[in-house]
Amino acid sequence: MIEAQRISKTYARGVYALRDLSLHIYKGDFVFLTGPSGAGKSTLLRLLLRRDVPSEGRLIVGSRNLAELTPRQVQAYRRSVGFVFQDFKLLPNKTVLENVALVPRVLGMADSQQQRRTFQVLKWVGLQHRMSAYPLELSGGEQQRVAIARAIVNDPVIILADEPTGNLDPDLSLEIMNLFREINARGTTVIVATHDRELIRRVGRRSVTLNQGQIVEVT
Amino acid sequence: MRALRYFFTEAAASLWRARGAALLAVVTIAVGLFVLGFFLVLNSNLQRIVSRWSESAELSIYLRDDATPDQLKSLDEMAGQSGLVAQRDYISKEQALARFRADFPDLASTAGALDGNPFPASFELRLRSDVREAAGAVDGLVTALSSMPGVADVRYDRQWLTRLNAVVRGARIAGAIVVAMLGLAAAMTVANVVRLAAAARRDEIEIMQLVGAPFAYVRGPFVAEGILQGGAGAVLALLALAAGFYAVRSRFGAAAADALGGSGLTFLPIPVAAVLLLGGMALGCLGGYVVARRVR
Repeated sequence: MIEAQRISKTYARGVYALRDLSLHIYKGDFVFLTGPSGAGKSTLLRLLLRRDVPSEGRLIVGSRNLAELTPRQVQAYRRSVGFVFQDFKLLPNKTVLENVALVPRVLGMADSQQQRRTFQVLKWVGLQHRMSAYPLELSGGEQQRVAIARAIVNDPVIILADEPTGNLDPDLSLEIMNLFREINARGTTVIVATHDRELIRRVGRRSVTLNQGQIVEVT
Repeated sequence: MRALRYFFTEAAASLWRARGAALLAVVTIAVGLFVLGFFLVLNSNLQRIVSRWSESAELSIYLRDDATPDQLKSLDEMAGQSGLVAQRDYISKEQALARFRADFPDLASTAGALDGNPFPASFELRLRSDVREAAGAVDGLVTALSSMPGVADVRYDRQWLTRLNAVVRGARIAGAIVVAMLGLAAAMTVANVVRLAAAARRDEIEIMQLVGAPFAYVRGPFVAEGILQGGAGAVLALLALAAGFYAVRSRFGAAAADALGGSGLTFLPIPVAAVLLLGGMALGCLGGYVVARRVR
């Protein structure tokens, strides 16, 4: 489903963020990307979210080369991808409900459908009782659960998470990972970038280790 | 419809968040449109004065007291054959004196104290409306009439009206330049306010882009923000203009009615006020769009 064919990504002055990387991720996989800071984990996620394109090689998702998508095709592609970031990226001046409902709203879903779907996912992440709270009134774990609710409200086929537990303690991290496992159990492909090896060990899924932009280990 | 509601709800919330800067943009637009409206009101009323005076403008041929009937006949024929005159009236010395007494009753006794009648007989010619602007032809007629025997003087009102028209035209051009500059300043102010709003909402824009929101959804609120600012500025300008207009009319209305006749000073017609309102919204829309099109 996702195929990186010898992709490289260079930035100014020829610095390689990714170098000649090839990777295959099947539909419904749960994959960790790990490695030290600067290994290229976030760069690979940026390419998968089509915020950037490879300098060399091809990144294929489904049957589409992401570099060749038109702006409108990029929009359509992103509607099939959910994302979760370390810093949550919630809008502080909107309530939990509004943050999650923003996605179906801007995608033109009918009001009643928006509300039903938003309530469903908030209930699923256990935050139906905090719908009218603002993000800054929530704990870190709760904020990340709101971010996860927002990521899945549109039923994406891929979830990308960049250090989603970076700001959380070990117990909360495992709780968040359990949510990702449940999402994956429904058939959604989940790709999580983390440098937390202990967490990877506890979750026990396939992991791809990067170093200096190259794959050094797959377990 | 849902999209429009979203655009305007977001735009209103964003304006409220940055209300200080938004107020500045609204006032800038209001100033620009107020000046435009002021020139429009001034222009339409001045134009009415000029038209009214133009309609009553006459060419007067004052006759010597010793002018013979043949000379009068020649003058009458020349005026008739020129093709420029719609109506010609002969005013005898007696009629001129009677008119003076009627127009200036306080001075009537003075006129009676004089030896004889000092007022000359005259021909009053009313020009055809379609030749009023043909200055060359009328000037030729004036010259020809002046050199005719029996003529003491020829007075032509159009010359100062032409000068007045030139002043009005000049004022209109100067007004257009000022309005264009203020319009540009207003659009730039709106663009800057919307740019501030875009900076304040960059996280939201990023999230919208990441979830694949259509461009219209990402950009729409900025355009709506510009339209709201422009509309508010136009409404403010119209209110200020109306307040100023009615204040001036209550003070100088009587004098203006004498000059204009009938209705006196008039405010902007509703269609022109509507165009001003739409113009303000278009100006705001332009400012918003300039920022929105950079959001990709």
